[in-house]
Amino acid sequence: MATDTRILPLAHPAPRGILWSLFLTLPILIWSLFMMFFRPGASAELLSHIASAITALFMTVLFFMMMRTRNTYRWRRIFFVSLGVLFPIGFIHNLIVMRGSMGIPIEEMIAGRTPFCFMPIPLLILPAVFTRTLVFPGSIVGASGHGIAVMVALWLALTLVMGKGWCSYACFFGGIEEGVAAIPARARIRKLDPRWRYLPWAVLLAMVLLSLAIFEPAYCMWLCPFKAVTEYVAARNMLGLVQNVIFVLLFAGLVIVLPFLTKKRTQCAWFCPFGAFQSIFNKISIFEMKIDKERCKPCLLCQNACPNLSLSKESVARGETLLSCMKCGACVDVCPRKAIVWHIKGTQIAWKPERARLMFLYSAWALAVMFGGSIIAQGIYTILHVFI
Amino acid sequence: MPVFASCGEALVLGLASGPACLASCGPVLVPSLLAERTGFRLHARYLSVFLAARLLGYMLFAVVAWEVGMLASILPTPRLLMMGAVYVLLAGVLLWYAYSARRSCSPSCADSKLVQIGESRNRGVTGAAALGLLTGLNLCPPFVAAGIRAAQMGSLAAALLFFAAFFIGTSLWFVPFLSLGPIVRNQAVLTVARMAMVLIALYYLSMGIAMLLGKKVYGY
Repeated sequence: MATDTRILPLAHPAPRGILWSLFLTLPILIWSLFMMFFRPGASAELLSHIASAITALFMTVLFFMMMRTRNTYRWRRIFFVSLGVLFPIGFIHNLIVMRGSMGIPIEEMIAGRTPFCFMPIPLLILPAVFTRTLVFPGSIVGASGHGIAVMVALWLALTLVMGKGWCSYACFFGGIEEGVAAIPARARIRKLDPRWRYLPWAVLLAMVLLSLAIFEPAYCMWLCPFKAVTEYVAARNMLGLVQNVIFVLLFAGLVIVLPFLTKKRTQCAWFCPFGAFQSIFNKISIFEMKIDKERCKPCLLCQNACPNLSLSKESVARGETLLSCMKCGACVDVCPRKAIVWHIKGTQIAWKPERARLMFLYSAWALAVMFGGSIIAQGIYTILHVFI
Repeated sequence: MPVFASCGEALVLGLASGPACLASCGPVLVPSLLAERTGFRLHARYLSVFLAARLLGYMLFAVVAWEVGMLASILPTPRLLMMGAVYVLLAGVLLWYAYSARRSCSPSCADSKLVQIGESRNRGVTGAAALGLLTGLNLCPPFVAAGIRAAQMGSLAAALLFFAAFFIGTSLWFVPFLSLGPIVRNQAVLTVARMAMVLIALYYLSMGIAMLLGKKVYGY
């Protein structure tokens, strides 16, 4: 039987009414105001209040636009890129104020004062199982929310709800490359070898095993591209210098050059071991993307639109995304036949997809406000603090 | 020291330091096992060859330790150079393994051109032997401790016996690796295993070169 492969024109969904959109946004407005003005670490300064108000308004307006236009991706991207840009601003400013440098000296590591990010979480598991020791030079409680326990608890809460949605609504690194990928009008490199999709799993496997062998988070020490824009090992010897050169090269290649050339989140799709680890939790999360095979004409617009290479011809034919799906919504927004839908596990595919989308977005956005919103507010506060 | 007591000591030392051996051999053993075909028996054979070669490495080290005394075990410079050389060789074997593994795949692999029955058996035996020997010569802290005790033995035979008992103690910790056997091998698993081997090889290569250049890495 011949398959109709014509690309249908984009079907723009009818916008929701303003009043109904405002009503749907109300819970997020209340949550945003609560989280921004009562967030831990917020000071009583006027500038801090201004930063909180701007952030609450920003998050609320974006959610309103998601409700009004029924599009997810483009509004989420504005949040996500802002998160990616503002995180280093706030973080680096803090480092400079506290330490005078982005480089972390060995004395600070020994003292357990390295701020913890979520990246090493999978690397800590095996050493903790075998030795009951956390192989990270930070403290469990930490100061101002930078402790291991706080980050692990936040990660767990977000992950159980969103699965790999973490990588689209919470990760404070992915926004930079998503922003870079948005710059060019079209991709310069279009043919991408699908085998590179396996590399994050290989990095995860290698780093987990090496972390157990050398008893330190090997990824943070050797391969994290984002050390280039957060904190790095103070280069006091040749080894430190080599480590920093690797960080800068990986950042330049995977976060700047390749996203610009491919219009994809190449670091996430081809390298990030945390992303691979996070993919496993897509099995637990109740939210997923499904393709209604009866509606789908395989135009593969969704495959081209996916920033994480999480759709293939085979997966589209099976009516599902690959395990690495980040639930960013790009495929749903671009599908002219609305064949790709947000889906709640255990329900029929065509069962009220907009309701499934709303349920996911309420969960994801509430957590995004709590986690990413605080980071955005800190970044805005830093800018206001420096320039006013 | 009576032979029975020294064997008991070596066995307990091996059992106690097994997790450390597991950790240091894991980066080599896990990806190379995943690059093999599915099958419990196949993995048991691979692991046997690996452990036998590792025993050979232990015995070689026992001879050296006993012959030149404990000085060779603790002097930093020869230890650094030996570690560097072992790391570079390990990297070389892993890279070869990753390259040759593309020729072997389980019948479930998508691309039938990749299936070459018989190819992986040879690679598996020689690869396991090379990796086992090199990890056997890996100077991890428990191994050095065993080397020093072996150097204090009254005869070469006693030193060899001490290392054999130490080997048995550590080898028990390798049995769980057999659980990788039943995992279904497809193109994805094979590709991940090969890529991981390359990454680990690059790590060992950089560490090995640094050590050969006399740079201290991680307290070695």
